[in-house]
Amino acid sequence: MADTPEVPPATGPRGFARRVFDSFWRVGWPRDERAALRALLQSLVLHVHAPKVRPSALTFRATWGLGFVSLILLGALTATGVYLMFYYSPHPSAAYRSMKDIDFVLPFGLLTRNVHRWAAHAMVFLVTLHMVRVFLSGGYKAPREANWVVGVLAWVSTLALSFTGYLLPWDQLAFWAVTVGANMVAAVPGVGPDLRVLLLGDAAVGEPALLRFYVLHCVVLPLVILGLVSFHVFRVRKDGGLVTTEHAPALPDGTRPRMVPAWPHLLYREVVLTLVTVVVLLAVSLWVDAPLEPEADPARTPNPAKAPWYFLGVQELAHYSAFWGGVFVPAALVLGLCALPYFDRGTAGLGRYFPRERWLACTLFSATMVFLAVVTLIGTLFRGPGWAFGWYWP
Amino acid sequence: MSETPTRTPFWLDATFAGSAVALVILLGVAMAREWARPPLIAQRIVPALGVVDRCEHCHSEDTHPGEMLTHHPPERFGCTPCHGGQGWALTARDAHEARPDWERPLFTLAEREAACGRCHLSGPVPGAPRLEVGRRLLDTLGCRACHALPGAGETPPGLPLDGLSLKVEPAWVRWFLTAPENPDGPAPRHRMPRFDLEPDAVEDLVAYLLRPAAPLAAAPEGDAERGRTAVATRRCATCHRIEGRGGDFAPSLDLAGAKMRPEWLVAFLRAPHAIRPGIDMPEFGLDEREAADIAAYIAEQLVSDTGETPWSKAIAVDGDPARRAEAGRAVFARSGCRGCHVTADVPLDRPGAPLAQIAGRTAAERPPAADGEDPPDVPAFVARKVASPRVFDPPGGPAGVMPQFRTTPDEAVAIGIAVAALGGRSVPVEYRRDTAPRPFAPPPGVIADLFERKRCLSCHRIGGTGGDLSRIPLDGVGARLDRTWLARFLEAPTTVRLDQPERMPVLGLSPEEAARLAEYLSLTLDAAWSAEPVPVGDATRGEALYGRHGCATCHVHRGQGALGGPGLDDAPRRLRPVYLSTLLRAPERVPNGRHAAVRLSAGDAADVAAFLSTATAPATVVPATAATGVPSAD
Repeated sequence: MADTPEVPPATGPRGFARRVFDSFWRVGWPRDERAALRALLQSLVLHVHAPKVRPSALTFRATWGLGFVSLILLGALTATGVYLMFYYSPHPSAAYRSMKDIDFVLPFGLLTRNVHRWAAHAMVFLVTLHMVRVFLSGGYKAPREANWVVGVLAWVSTLALSFTGYLLPWDQLAFWAVTVGANMVAAVPGVGPDLRVLLLGDAAVGEPALLRFYVLHCVVLPLVILGLVSFHVFRVRKDGGLVTTEHAPALPDGTRPRMVPAWPHLLYREVVLTLVTVVVLLAVSLWVDAPLEPEADPARTPNPAKAPWYFLGVQELAHYSAFWGGVFVPAALVLGLCALPYFDRGTAGLGRYFPRERWLACTLFSATMVFLAVVTLIGTLFRGPGWAFGWYWP
Repeated sequence: MSETPTRTPFWLDATFAGSAVALVILLGVAMAREWARPPLIAQRIVPALGVVDRCEHCHSEDTHPGEMLTHHPPERFGCTPCHGGQGWALTARDAHEARPDWERPLFTLAEREAACGRCHLSGPVPGAPRLEVGRRLLDTLGCRACHALPGAGETPPGLPLDGLSLKVEPAWVRWFLTAPENPDGPAPRHRMPRFDLEPDAVEDLVAYLLRPAAPLAAAPEGDAERGRTAVATRRCATCHRIEGRGGDFAPSLDLAGAKMRPEWLVAFLRAPHAIRPGIDMPEFGLDEREAADIAAYIAEQLVSDTGETPWSKAIAVDGDPARRAEAGRAVFARSGCRGCHVTADVPLDRPGAPLAQIAGRTAAERPPAADGEDPPDVPAFVARKVASPRVFDPPGGPAGVMPQFRTTPDEAVAIGIAVAALGGRSVPVEYRRDTAPRPFAPPPGVIADLFERKRCLSCHRIGGTGGDLSRIPLDGVGARLDRTWLARFLEAPTTVRLDQPERMPVLGLSPEEAARLAEYLSLTLDAAWSAEPVPVGDATRGEALYGRHGCATCHVHRGQGALGGPGLDDAPRRLRPVYLSTLLRAPERVPNGRHAAVRLSAGDAADVAAFLSTATAPATVVPATAATGVPSAD
């Protein structure tokens, strides 16, 4: 083959190891640009990268790393989630007990649970920011409409994964947050109560709900998000990479900057970002323990009973009107986001944040997001017993 | 911005290097923490109690003080059922303290005592004396009236209050509701707590309670002197204080003439249970004339010499009676009176929280005390609430309705312990100890009817339950007493112990009723020893033994002796020989407090029994029957 290494194969154990490595990685360590391109294209994992990227796409502010870090977090969640699944038992009589055993007895159990918890919260937060970033740079416009829709669905899946995982510890926090969430579902006109039964398998949170949430959290939704995210990443490449590349600034001499190979420039940045993500996650998880409250007790309602933080904006709105705040606004938001690229079709100002040409769209979107952030903050920090307004640091 | 493609910026390399170092350090910390954990975990698992206790990770059962572990082995009970805390935890902080995921820290001393009550559902518990005291108080104070309490319900502890205007003078009610000296008032044993009502509210309540009722039929004129004799012969003073003497089991009748209306008394005396269901007083079967005589005696002679009574000074407050009665009904309902007292027009609505719910309250769920001194545990919280019912009222909120009970601080803590014992998960059946005796239930029909009408169990104990007024439990009474004598005694109680005041009331049993009751008691309230053969004794030798053992120090026989115990002249008719011989030979088998010091050999006992069973006057000897007689020697 043309790719046969120049050095003849070594003998002995080193040679054997070398042969095994080469059987998987056939192109050798790339020493020039050509070899780097070949390496990318040959690799199943790496060939989602474009072989060459524009230098502007490598800058941090081009993406803030939000999508990539979300992907890393998804990986961390999968790994820790599998470990937790070995010890977790999805039955009300055993679930809380298994949480205690994970925390107190299982080697690295508490650390694993902390990583899983904090990575999940971070992922909800970062995926949302990723969506904001893409919107502000116009990344949802042709030819990326479909990928935007897939992204919105992946965002919803992320929320659903987080929500279903919220119930599993079977503590007071879990039980009542999910009860509140399920009550919001019940506010859907007409079929609301039936939807709640469909979700919980019962009129209230109990054994069927725990099993349902477990299966959704560990099997169904991971498969869904795996499919969506794979497609999402694939389409980023097929749609021409980052939207910034089309409007990269010209160099002083008037030429476009030369494209650089993704190996090593993009890959190195990804490695560094992965490292930083892991380090931050590990540091937080080593020193901040995931919350665990007393065992779920249907007879003791905490006051106020709050949904998970990312639904507190909706709960706050539902406080004013169960239907308009709790059903209409979230549904309109998701549907509106999906429909957005098919109506907002201007092409001016793409690739820049908050460009003058798109001031209206960006302002409206930002206002919506700020509004949601504000009601979420109010619901989180300013609502006490009886949903009374005040200063309630959790 | 635009980078040279072949070079990576310094900050990227620096971040890479820094992150890599940080990652190694963090992994090192994680590993170090893991290695610092013990490789093996000592734990007790008791599935039946849901217990996984890792206490022995640090503690050893060998150092457990006292004998507790010998009858509560850790492999069957674990640690946390008695000690609380989080058994799963491996660090002292997690195991002992209240944590975000564990609200119940290690038990305090009082909580440990309460914990006994989760398995020991009744009866005395060695080592937890306050638990039993508290449980008794929960029943006798009428807590159940306002707070739902698991277990069998009881009849409302207070008297029904419909038609009160027919019974008492308004001034008495007014005084009873206000007088701080109530405890020493007309009924020393009454259980009613203090409500501290405003004078206006009291007047409203008086108007409501004394609202007009359909008048009673007029009673015939009675004779006070005959009434006085009837009261004496019926032995009313066993329970009531009359003319300064008598028992305090029932309300004092001194000054009753200034309180109660004669027509009501007549109706009550003739059919007490129709008017006051659930009271302890027996139905004496009085005819109208005798009842009228007693009512006349009370009305004419049991009054104040000076005309002054404690309640004659209670001043009425003006107001429209109808409006006051309506307001009084609201006061009655609001104050929770209905919990103890039945009236027709106020429905039962327990104003208090269920006690099991109170028992489950964590520190965060208990209301803060007004003085800032929050009790450390549930027993202390309940004790505080009992001692000062207003101390947990929310500031600015509505005042609570819990009344002030007359409990000592120790009693309040005992109540708290009994309440705390209601909390927690219920334990499996095999762990429960329910040792309290069941109330004695006579067979339905004529016997149960007699027990019910004559209220035998108000005074006598059978099988560990019943009243404690009589010192004579009825257990084994059939083995002790001759049936014929018993029938005569029930019909017309005679004096058995000359050193004691006569106490058994004259219940008005017909000869047939007395015979039926005596037959029932003799046949069913038997003792194991009564079937044992009694050797034929030598009465002459018995007489010598009687003298040698100093029996005359306590007993009168043939006109000689002292009044320390019952007279023995009627022993042949009264006592069964098997009882005499068993008591003398093995006093522990016949529980009888004062005879434990005497213990004779079987032969001696038979001789003394033969001596005492030999009638002084042969004419009154009751022929021996199969049930009572001496078995033929063989």
